[in-house]
Amino acid sequence: MQTQKILLAFDSSESSYNAVAYAGSMLAHVPDVHVTLVFVERLPDRDFFPDEASWRAECDSRTQAHHRHLSAARTRLTEYGIPAAAIDERYLASCKSPFGQATVCSTGESVVEDILRIQREEGYGTVIVGKRGVSRTEAFLFGSVSNRIIQETQGCTVWVVG
Amino acid sequence: MSSEVRELIRTHLPEFPLRHCRHLVTDTTQFMSIDYGDVIRVANRHYLVYKNEMERRFGLEDPKYWVKRCHELETGERKILKLEFFETFPIQVGRLNVECFRSPDKESRILDLVRGDMRFMQGFTARDAVDRNVRVLDIVSGRRLDITVDRLDADHATYFRTHLPGLLRTYLGAIRAIGTLHEHGERHGDIRRDHLYVEFETGQWRWIDFDYTFKSYEHPFGLDLFGLGNILVFLVGKANITVQSLESLGLPEERTEKLTSDDLSIVIPNRIVNLRKLYPYIPEQLNRVLMHFAAGAPVFYNTTTELMEDLTPCVEELERLASR
Repeated sequence: MQTQKILLAFDSSESSYNAVAYAGSMLAHVPDVHVTLVFVERLPDRDFFPDEASWRAECDSRTQAHHRHLSAARTRLTEYGIPAAAIDERYLASCKSPFGQATVCSTGESVVEDILRIQREEGYGTVIVGKRGVSRTEAFLFGSVSNRIIQETQGCTVWVVG
Repeated sequence: MSSEVRELIRTHLPEFPLRHCRHLVTDTTQFMSIDYGDVIRVANRHYLVYKNEMERRFGLEDPKYWVKRCHELETGERKILKLEFFETFPIQVGRLNVECFRSPDKESRILDLVRGDMRFMQGFTARDAVDRNVRVLDIVSGRRLDITVDRLDADHATYFRTHLPGLLRTYLGAIRAIGTLHEHGERHGDIRRDHLYVEFETGQWRWIDFDYTFKSYEHPFGLDLFGLGNILVFLVGKANITVQSLESLGLPEERTEKLTSDDLSIVIPNRIVNLRKLYPYIPEQLNRVLMHFAAGAPVFYNTTTELMEDLTPCVEELERLASR
């Protein structure tokens, strides 16, 4: 497992931008570092909308915003001094997307499973994730990505940025 | 008054007073104006509307204008028609505000999924003249689980020995039913003890009302599991026991004074989950299952399978105790 091969989970939230900033400051001068920014697309369920058109419009708007944020995160890493050639962007579209053109897509069920699948299959030695700081009650009802990543990752270093 | 409605009523329900006949409705968009004496036509059937269904909470009746209690004229059967009504609203789950959605299409999908599975209410989806969703539901002839349990005339110790083993055995089946939904990527969405009915004729426990949904991506079945845990705690306690209702139980002080904040529900801050402190004859093994829903829980259930794996041996133990 290569510890310099880093998977940075990004979802455009404030905590994931914090993770980008922390990673940038820590990794800028690490030789042979390679960072993959992964965005697991999570679109709202069709059930949350009264009709197909309003759902598609919202998904379209979110998808465009996700791509903008992913580019911004990459730029942020380069500003810290990580060479552009050492950064990859990966946008994992949701299998439940109404625009489903992707040949490889997320499960649409669990961001954690998608992140950990990529980590395992592609041999990432470090996973970096932001922490929202949800309460125990929220974690009980709705889950917590960072908690699950800590619990379920094996043979890999995890950075949780609060 | 529509002459078509009058003829339909005269043919199929001659005892219905014709002066109360109103309109034939083929477009259900304006569901608030559909009322007693109207006839809704969908799927080549006619449904005479009797009244709006009511939601009863806190002693108040809140009309659900999109849910009509009807009489299917061609068959004489009583039906419930749920008309298309999409809404977004906040619900309070303990201290949390949760955004909730009422989705007709979600309920339709689940009705298709559970067709013929009598652990759930049954029905089908029709489309009205303007393609709006109309769910035609069979009425579950039964009593809410909470009322059924409440009417058992026994003190807790007697209830625990004589009724609880059978109730929990049946409840395992109800949990398994929810697991079936989850296996298909669906959630019930509103698991409450008044959404589980005990059918009069068969004793079968049947889940109703599947139209709620909510945003939950990392733990999509978390709210369902919370609901299942609430019902379990209710069944074991024969009531929802709160810090406020504790005194009315007349339990010895040495039991109640041992309660701490860790013994309360992780979500509902005044509800007591550690029932073994109140009723020491509750086996440790069963109490451990309850404690997965407590504020002090170190781990939570992620799936119905995990819950059932822990609960099943507890039920077997209770059955052994009861048979002695």
